[in-house]
Amino acid sequence: MDAGRHPNIELLTFSEVDDVSGYVGNFTVRIRKKARYVDPTACNACGECAKVCPQVRPDEYQMGLSARKAIYIPFPQAVPCAYVLDMESCLGNIPIACGKCADACEKKAIDYDDRDEIVTREIGSIIVAVGADVYDPTQDDEYGYTRFRNVITSMEFERLICAGGPTGGHFVRPSDRRRPTRIGFVQCVGSRNPRLNRPWCSNICCMNTVKDTLLLADHYPDTENVVFYQDIRSFGKGFEDMFQRSKQAGTRYVRGLPGEIVEDPATGNLHVTVENTTAGRIERYELDMVVLSVGVEPPRDLARISGLLTLSKTSDGFFMESHPKLKPVDAPTRGVYFAGFCESPKDIKDSVCQAGAAASRAGALLNAGRIRIEAITSRIDPAACTKCGLCAQVCPYGAIRWQKGEVATVVEAACAGCGACGATCRSGAITMRHFTDDQLLAQVRAVLAHRPEDKVFVFACNWCSYAGGDMAGISRMAYPASNRVVRTMCSARVSEEMVVEAFRCGAPVVLVSGCHYADCHYISANRQTVKRVDRLWDRLERLGIRPERLQLEWISAAEGQKFAAVMRRLEDLRRTVTAEEIALTRAALAAPAKPAPKPARATAPQE
Amino acid sequence: MAPTTETFRCMACGHEYEELVEKGVDRERQCPRCRSNSIRQLKRKPAPDAGAGGSAT
Repeated sequence: MDAGRHPNIELLTFSEVDDVSGYVGNFTVRIRKKARYVDPTACNACGECAKVCPQVRPDEYQMGLSARKAIYIPFPQAVPCAYVLDMESCLGNIPIACGKCADACEKKAIDYDDRDEIVTREIGSIIVAVGADVYDPTQDDEYGYTRFRNVITSMEFERLICAGGPTGGHFVRPSDRRRPTRIGFVQCVGSRNPRLNRPWCSNICCMNTVKDTLLLADHYPDTENVVFYQDIRSFGKGFEDMFQRSKQAGTRYVRGLPGEIVEDPATGNLHVTVENTTAGRIERYELDMVVLSVGVEPPRDLARISGLLTLSKTSDGFFMESHPKLKPVDAPTRGVYFAGFCESPKDIKDSVCQAGAAASRAGALLNAGRIRIEAITSRIDPAACTKCGLCAQVCPYGAIRWQKGEVATVVEAACAGCGACGATCRSGAITMRHFTDDQLLAQVRAVLAHRPEDKVFVFACNWCSYAGGDMAGISRMAYPASNRVVRTMCSARVSEEMVVEAFRCGAPVVLVSGCHYADCHYISANRQTVKRVDRLWDRLERLGIRPERLQLEWISAAEGQKFAAVMRRLEDLRRTVTAEEIALTRAALAAPAKPAPKPARATAPQE
Repeated sequence: MAPTTETFRCMACGHEYEELVEKGVDRERQCPRCRSNSIRQLKRKPAPDAGAGGSAT
């Protein structure tokens, strides 16, 4: 409400972002304002239109537990407080055939010819706060949710016990509208479940259930509550106290998730069988209602938003921040920040904290009027550029401007310095500051200057693999001392020439290592690494060099064990490479590379 | 587009395996046997030309 009235905030409701272009401080955003079919400036929300509307639909806000009309206000306190016409539900989709709402509207606010409107705005920074979706237990019929009427979700529970809900706050069960007195809560439905591909903890469900049991104890003291859980995660200020109060109020906590729920068709009651892992016995409960404490999942249109803003996702599907500890609200794309669930599941307090931090970061950026960038960005020499445009194709940030027949240019404010362009450029026109070709090749040569046959040569990315090596070291993990690591910002910076140079200098084994796909700190730059290593395997094979001597591994910062294991494996591989093989490799690579054989052209059929 | 079956070879352990690949779906590859990420997609051999060396009937 405050945001709606604030003079410096333009609130575009019922709108969707169609396109985002530009870069930090200079974004151009194209927004689609969807047709409401009701003029919000004229509508006074009298409700006469809804009274005469003959079309009834399940009310999404009330979780389908009550109905709404085709013309409706989505939820109480909606901003603006005006009706909207759901054209898909409107009678036969030909409003003129009905027209009752228009006749009833004294303000003449209804316009059936309303159309979507496209507006553009110049934006300095963007905060992504698109929230999350709630797990739908119908997908796998969790605990008989689709079959048993009295198995409901925690979201449905919220509506049923809310004074503004479909029953006016009178808590009843769906099957017979009788007040339930024995209620079971099942935790971790759609959370911490690898079988459902949802291994993450949803963070909010434990305390939401604790809150629900306290609400029930307060409103209906005669209610018996049982909570079935794996473990209660009540960290946070005041949360443990709240959990203890719930237990003191009589809620029974049973450690173990139900193995089976069966409905008694006569009464609608639910028979729950559970292994109480604390007591070490099978227990059976007869309950009036079971509430599934459903988890959260990334929003379903996350991929679209990700594409609009060139954002990356972590393995659980939520947006990945620039750095989990040092830049927890920054997106990898400069000028974009996160707030709330879309980054990871979190409660209200954490969401408010993150939103405040994101607003501060955005405000600081705009107030400064300029940005400071790390001195690792790329630079293009226009005299050397062959105008091929390959660099623009591989840049995950869209930081390279190029048009056919023109020299490419770098928008340094948008460049993150991954180096994918530098490794791709065939004409040597691109220089990566502080990670130049000359600097990296000099490191390769220096490392392999003495007894190269004893060394496993490793290219490691700054964020994950190099940190994984650090983790192995500080964890005192034992691995062979033969490896020599050269750090690049991203594995995509490692060019074919650098790998070839390592073999040319006598390296028996070369490893290119980077972040896991979902962890790539440069959105998707490491996909270029895969393509390059693939090409190198082909090239080595053509030259008669064992392609297995070039290896590729994704090692995260936490995978010290994997780093050590890979080093042990590569040391075994190194021992199989003979001095003669190294000499042949050097000889093969010393000669100019043979071009790949061209596929034979199909001959024209002879008459 | 319908997924196609592609053959992969692990460059760490030599294990060869087939996997359904959907065009446009970008997935991290891992050897099912040794869990290495050194996975090489083997090129499809061109189908033999039906006209050349066909039956003489």
